[in-house]
Amino acid sequence: MASLDDPGEVREGFLCPLCLKDLQSFYQLQTHYEEEHSGEDHDVKGQIKSLVQKAKKAKNRLLKREGDDRAESGTQGYESFSYGGVDPYMWEPQELGAVRSHLSDFKKHRAARIDHYVVEVNKLIIRLEKLTAFDRTNAESAKIRAIEKSVVPWVNDQDVPFCPDCGNKFSIRNRRHHCRLCGSIMCKKCMELISLPLANKLTSASKDSLSSHTSPSQSPNSVHGSRRGSISSVSSVSSVLDEKDDDRIRCCTHCKGTLLKREQQIDEKEHIPDIVKLYEKLQLCMEKVDQKAPEYIRMATSLNYVEGTPATLIEQVGEGPQATGTIAKCSIWSAGETTYRLEHANDLRVEVQKVYELIDALSKKILTLGLNQDPPPHPNTLRLQRMIRYSATLFVQEKLLGLMSLPTQEQFEELKKRKEEMERKKMLEKQASLESQRRLEERRSDLPSRANGEVVYLRRGSAPLRKAEGWLPLSGGQGQSEDLDPLLQQIHNITSFIKQAKAAGRTDEVRTLQENLRQLQDEYDQQQTEKAIELSRKQAEEEDLQREQLQRLCEREWEREREQFQAASLHTRTRSLDFREIRPFQLEPSTEPCTHLAHALDLGSSPVQSSATPKTPSPSSALEPIRVWPGPPALGQEFLPQSTMSQQREVPSLNPFEEEDSSSPTAEVSTSPHAAEPSCGPPSHILKEYNPFEEEEEEVAVAGNPFTNSNSPAPNPFSEEDERPVPGNPFEEATCTNPFEMDSDSGPEGEEPIEEELLLQQIDNIKAYIFDAKQCGRLDEVEVLTENLRELKRTLAKQKGGSDWPLGR
Amino acid sequence: MNVVLAVKQYISKMIEDSGPGMKVLLMDKETTGIVSMVYTQSEILQKEVYLFERIDSANREVMKHLKAICFLRPTKENVDYLIQELRRPKYSIYFIYFSNVISKSDVKSLAEADEQEVVAEVQEFYGDYIAVNPHLFSLNILGCCQGRNWDPAQLSRTTQGLTALLLSLKKCPMIRYQLSSEAAKRLAECVKQVITKEYELFEFRRTEVPPLLLILDRCDDAITPLLNQWTYQAMVHELLGINNNRIDLSRVPGISKDLREVVLSAENDEFYANNMYLNFAEIGSNIKNLMEDFQKKKPKEQQKLESIADMKAFVENYPQFKKMSGTVSKHVTVVGELSRLVGERNLLEVSEVEQELACQNDHSSALQNVKRLLQNPKVTECDAARLVMLYALHYERHSSNSLPGLMMDLRNKGVSEKYRKLVSAVVEYGGKRVRGSDLFSPKDAVAITKQFLKGLKGIENVYTQHQPFLHETLDHLIKGKLKENLYPYLGPSTLRDRPQDIIVFVIGGATYEEALTVYNLNRTTPGVRIVLGGTTVHNTKSLLKIQDRSGEEKGGEVTVLANSTAVAWAPPELYVKRAPDVSAVSSVLLKT
Repeated sequence: MASLDDPGEVREGFLCPLCLKDLQSFYQLQTHYEEEHSGEDHDVKGQIKSLVQKAKKAKNRLLKREGDDRAESGTQGYESFSYGGVDPYMWEPQELGAVRSHLSDFKKHRAARIDHYVVEVNKLIIRLEKLTAFDRTNAESAKIRAIEKSVVPWVNDQDVPFCPDCGNKFSIRNRRHHCRLCGSIMCKKCMELISLPLANKLTSASKDSLSSHTSPSQSPNSVHGSRRGSISSVSSVSSVLDEKDDDRIRCCTHCKGTLLKREQQIDEKEHIPDIVKLYEKLQLCMEKVDQKAPEYIRMATSLNYVEGTPATLIEQVGEGPQATGTIAKCSIWSAGETTYRLEHANDLRVEVQKVYELIDALSKKILTLGLNQDPPPHPNTLRLQRMIRYSATLFVQEKLLGLMSLPTQEQFEELKKRKEEMERKKMLEKQASLESQRRLEERRSDLPSRANGEVVYLRRGSAPLRKAEGWLPLSGGQGQSEDLDPLLQQIHNITSFIKQAKAAGRTDEVRTLQENLRQLQDEYDQQQTEKAIELSRKQAEEEDLQREQLQRLCEREWEREREQFQAASLHTRTRSLDFREIRPFQLEPSTEPCTHLAHALDLGSSPVQSSATPKTPSPSSALEPIRVWPGPPALGQEFLPQSTMSQQREVPSLNPFEEEDSSSPTAEVSTSPHAAEPSCGPPSHILKEYNPFEEEEEEVAVAGNPFTNSNSPAPNPFSEEDERPVPGNPFEEATCTNPFEMDSDSGPEGEEPIEEELLLQQIDNIKAYIFDAKQCGRLDEVEVLTENLRELKRTLAKQKGGSDWPLGR
Repeated sequence: MNVVLAVKQYISKMIEDSGPGMKVLLMDKETTGIVSMVYTQSEILQKEVYLFERIDSANREVMKHLKAICFLRPTKENVDYLIQELRRPKYSIYFIYFSNVISKSDVKSLAEADEQEVVAEVQEFYGDYIAVNPHLFSLNILGCCQGRNWDPAQLSRTTQGLTALLLSLKKCPMIRYQLSSEAAKRLAECVKQVITKEYELFEFRRTEVPPLLLILDRCDDAITPLLNQWTYQAMVHELLGINNNRIDLSRVPGISKDLREVVLSAENDEFYANNMYLNFAEIGSNIKNLMEDFQKKKPKEQQKLESIADMKAFVENYPQFKKMSGTVSKHVTVVGELSRLVGERNLLEVSEVEQELACQNDHSSALQNVKRLLQNPKVTECDAARLVMLYALHYERHSSNSLPGLMMDLRNKGVSEKYRKLVSAVVEYGGKRVRGSDLFSPKDAVAITKQFLKGLKGIENVYTQHQPFLHETLDHLIKGKLKENLYPYLGPSTLRDRPQDIIVFVIGGATYEEALTVYNLNRTTPGVRIVLGGTTVHNTKSLLKIQDRSGEEKGGEVTVLANSTAVAWAPPELYVKRAPDVSAVSSVLLKT
């Protein structure tokens, strides 16, 4: 591309081959040539002319392409074309900048320091051991003192007229006390005591750690030992009189400080906080998802695209520009369709979903850790918990949405049948084209890359016209992919004629032939483009057809489902293991996932665990209350969406979002574990675990019964959100940088982003239910639902008004 | 040469090296800004960094189950904080990274404080500057000089920042500086000194053509930061102010709570990335497109949702839709506010005269226009003072200079004394006496012909005639024509070939218009990569603030002002002559 924009480089292409004169364009070159060198060898002239024509063609194409790009750049951005330099955003990746380590230096200094420290600490510990080695409580105090003095030499009383810590003068009233660990002197005020249990703890721990590793961190407590000349020393006598606390060991603040530090270390070593245990599990789950999800997606894709046609569906998953590429891929997948069994995929799906539930439950657990403790946790702890929960939510949202659903068995069979037919047809076509290609390749080995380009071209449809840079310059001999094309044959013939003519030195003929060839090629180009367009149109038609069929299928299943439902038998479906599918499971007492979860959450007696036990009322009985309670309390609410959902469940949606939809109805009902208990009874408990967003709903529930009034028809699901970015909306957060702000103090609003997001989602869900209910003609349900919707919206509005989520967080 | 990437790689490496587990990132005030420019919160969350703490915050809890990554500037206070921290460790293990060279004695005192052996790593990672765009960095220092000379503290900070940049990009450059500026020479010498002292650090693989560091001084071109801008990024900075990628919209009338402060980052915001260098008119139409897209994606009416296919399509598009709704409302608000300000302050007219003052040499017409605008009540006092400043800078020595008359007009208009004083302050800062090169009348033949041709063709876009002086300097530099008597090399060796990797640093601050110029130069010049940096990124307000301060106190304390993203300049051919489509923009805005 550079050559087109920089005249200096283009020039290279327009040097007169005979006089090497630089001409700015091929027109000039041509005229120049005709004027200056017309008398010379014709052969050369012919060659040049063809060269020129080629160049002209290439240039036209390139220019056209550039034009396209430019147009695009207006809307799509600055990256799409360049003038020859490089956009700073496109600069090639660089290695990590310079670094310098001070670690060895640091370690050297530290080692020197630590040696000193360790010696000191060990000394103290040994003394402490000696001081506690005998039975202090029963020994005579004189004997104790003797032993104490033997452990460490005491400082002479006379040498210390003032307390070294507080500076007070020692006197008869203010007597001297000796530290049993280092022998130093201080006054009574400055004296510290070490209880025997603490001393034992320290000595035993350091024995352990000494035996296991030579950690420098052992800071022993040495008790100041014996007093020399205790009887003669006035202060000593008095101290004996005052203090009968021989079950404790006296020491100075310095030694005590060292010992306390040591104790802390021991404690920390032994203590693993709950949050760490939970977090480790969470991480394990996430790893599992990272392993399994790609595998599942591969399977699901292969199964879903049995037909190889629903390209539009892919398009919506992988956005925009990649879509064309996906079509190509999809035909590859479809080839491998038989390698995965549907049941297999279903199993995997359930497995992955369970892990997601686990992640959700674990992170929720982390979030609520210590909330009920009496001294509430430090704000930073809470912040940490919120952040972990937030990132887990992000994780689930991001990954779960990538999980497409599977076709049901019937759909699958049907798809398969159709697929087989199509495959057969396709195979035939492919074979034909492959053969022709091979033949072509053999014949035209001088243009090897052409064929490749062409294949891509065909498969991708018309889209990559401007992209496939590779084949542009080769346009001289395009379109060999189909041998049967008479145009192509013609082209081949002519090229071979040209060769012959050249060999024979018939330059005039070569020229005319080349002219012919060019026209033919142009014609062929055009045809090819048309074909590509045609192809893509056909594809689109096929898709439409298929979608229609899918829809019909759905409807049929709905019908069936409704019948079953009315018979009040909430059957468990075995085939489609959509996320929704889990609900039927849940309704059975002691379901598998429940225990699974409870198992995972074995830390402490959580409400989660207890919730696994209650029995579920039969669905039919659950449905009753709906009609009875106009502003349905949570219980009724729960089954309402359920009923609609069970119909919706049939929609073979490939959309991950819908799964979430279906999982969240439960959220409506289940308030916080405690709140839920009185109002909605056991079922919500059970369900609660399955709802990834349950706790966000708390607020809804707390805000009063959200489902009370209104009977507006289902409004536009979007009326709430457009143009009004919710500050806490995680999606929004993702779109803009959120330079975190250290100063912001951890307000309790941290959870709000998710909550609002959830509210919005909830609203959307309800709208979907309303729609479903309408379709089934259940007007009473519609009414109730619309009421709920209104309430929810109000809550949302309220929340928006009150929320202030600092961007910084 | 990508400065954003350079910093980002450092941060990623830190997090990576600390292994799995919950982590807390301990930073100081400046490194917080540095990190936040290259990483979003959610990005960093995914790497198990859940808490962000300031080393100087007293209220930190002991959390032994966390690993601490400390990213700190090697200042005395930080070392002291760190020593205290290590004496009583709050976290289980510490990975310490300094953003610049740290002295051996500091390392020693840290080591001696680490009695519990909690430190696992001590390194220097040279991410010591604010990376705004891949080709633009800033040090967020507002007011680095006292008069003509460096404030010593800022000189050392600037030297640190600049050497850190060189280290992070692994460049050991030859240095050229602007001769007319004493400050530029000082800085060049300081940088050279560091390179010599830390020669081991600066031993990189030799490239064929050594990189070049060019140090310039803002006072050589005081015009550029005084002009109104019409490209998105630059315009936002000029009218609203960008501070570490954040924009404060709290003064916008009727702003919703969520939009009080928005973040504009090219790294995460596709629309912004694609439009930051486009001019106001184009942005208007792109916003419109964005909105139409948005409208297309959202199901319009209830009826439209009746079919399952519709529902499905809607739900499938949901994530994108959500994401989009955030972007749409943000940009609609920002552009809406810009367009309101343009109308309210009569900026189209003002900008036209500004451009005339900056680019043309017709004294009488310029004077007339300035006078006319001073009578206009819609023109704010800042804009009025700015016009007079531009006039004063351009026609300082003109025979029929009528600055006193204009000053009278300013007084009559009721412009406060502060602004009137600033006029002379600016002339003193960037007047002819100070300038090393001629800002207004081109001297060499090529430039004259160019201007002549331009005159013949007519100006394509009155609002974007101005090309920053930096463009010419860099153009000459790239072509190897930059005069050595004006921009000498430091040291004996000179560059024989055309330079390839160029780092330009502007003492006193760069502008977004210049960043755009550099961006375009990068894109149009094969084989050349240019990175622009400044002590800050200026808009008119920040430039005047410095002048204000230096005028009053001659020195004193220096504010560290956070600044951010970069450039302002639209290719003229893209710009519609006369009215950028403000009315279209606002009508679009009204409709929604």
